[in-house]
Amino acid sequence: MKVLVIIPAYNEEESILSVIEKLKKDCPRADYVVINDCSKDNTLQVLSDNKASFVNLPLNLGIGGGVQTGYKYALQNGYDIAIQIDGDGQHDTKYLDAVITPIEAGEADIVIGSRFITKEGFQSSGMRRLGIRVLSTLIWMCTGKKVYDVTSGFRAVNRDYIKMYAQDYPTDYPEPEAIVQASVSGARIAEIPVIMKEREAGTSSIRAWKSAYYMIKVSLAIVLRRISQRKVKR
Amino acid sequence: MTATLRIVLAVVMVLYFVIVIAMLRKKRLALNYSLFWLAFGVLMSIAVAFPQILEWVRIGLGFESAMNAFYVFMIGASFVLIMMLTSIVSKQSEKIKDLVQHNALLEKRIREIEKDNDKDEQ
Repeated sequence: MKVLVIIPAYNEEESILSVIEKLKKDCPRADYVVINDCSKDNTLQVLSDNKASFVNLPLNLGIGGGVQTGYKYALQNGYDIAIQIDGDGQHDTKYLDAVITPIEAGEADIVIGSRFITKEGFQSSGMRRLGIRVLSTLIWMCTGKKVYDVTSGFRAVNRDYIKMYAQDYPTDYPEPEAIVQASVSGARIAEIPVIMKEREAGTSSIRAWKSAYYMIKVSLAIVLRRISQRKVKR
Repeated sequence: MTATLRIVLAVVMVLYFVIVIAMLRKKRLALNYSLFWLAFGVLMSIAVAFPQILEWVRIGLGFESAMNAFYVFMIGASFVLIMMLTSIVSKQSEKIKDLVQHNALLEKRIREIEKDNDKDEQ
């Protein structure tokens, strides 16, 4: 099966190369594409000097638009499995095979790498964990599906969902909403334990003072998605 | 409505139509968005030409004065317009996003084709 790793990157000049190098070593059969979301630092220069595989967005689209570009690329180039990982090095590529396996076995359509199953590694701050738990409960109420690490950006999807996400992917804070989107459309979602590190460099896109706004917006997005998403017949 | 006010409003309405039509001719107003403005102008003109309609509305809906009914109508119309604009902006940002993605994916393909060409030439 053709496997693509999508790496959205915004101002990741310090970490992006080590992420790519480690990825090549950990999972040599996978191709990768970095989506440079109009970084203000030298990410583009670093990528092009090192002849990395990358797509360069001429305008900043945010994480949702960036990741969707990766899904569009996967669709155009006939990939069977697409995996998204962050460009900051917090997702350990040694788990790539672990997230691919359930999809290859046909046991799941979407696999989410979760830090809350074995509760090892970087667990994020208490407030943030509380927020994630609230969103997780909201998603459970909306879809009947329990996913623990709803904000994890470490996830693999099969061809059907590459297609769905290429056509329609949430924009602003996409991770929880994309779970609802897939779940309502009938996806089989599996969650497997991974160990995440603290980000190597750069700053998290969710800043403290924005967290209340984030919670309201994401909750609204989840509920709206529950109302508007149609079930997909396959 | 006093006679003076009606004359002033009639002049304003004529100016309004001149401006809307001039903008349409210069394509500074797309035709599909102009319907709202034309319909708005027609409604206003009817109200100026036949102020008794405003009077019926006032009595029918129980407003204190015809001007109050007029203000409510204006605020309602502005609200509809703002909703329309928000909807247009949302659609356009979706389209811009698709364009940016498409453009970026094409640019990657061009880079790859150029690389292959360079290899062939060597």
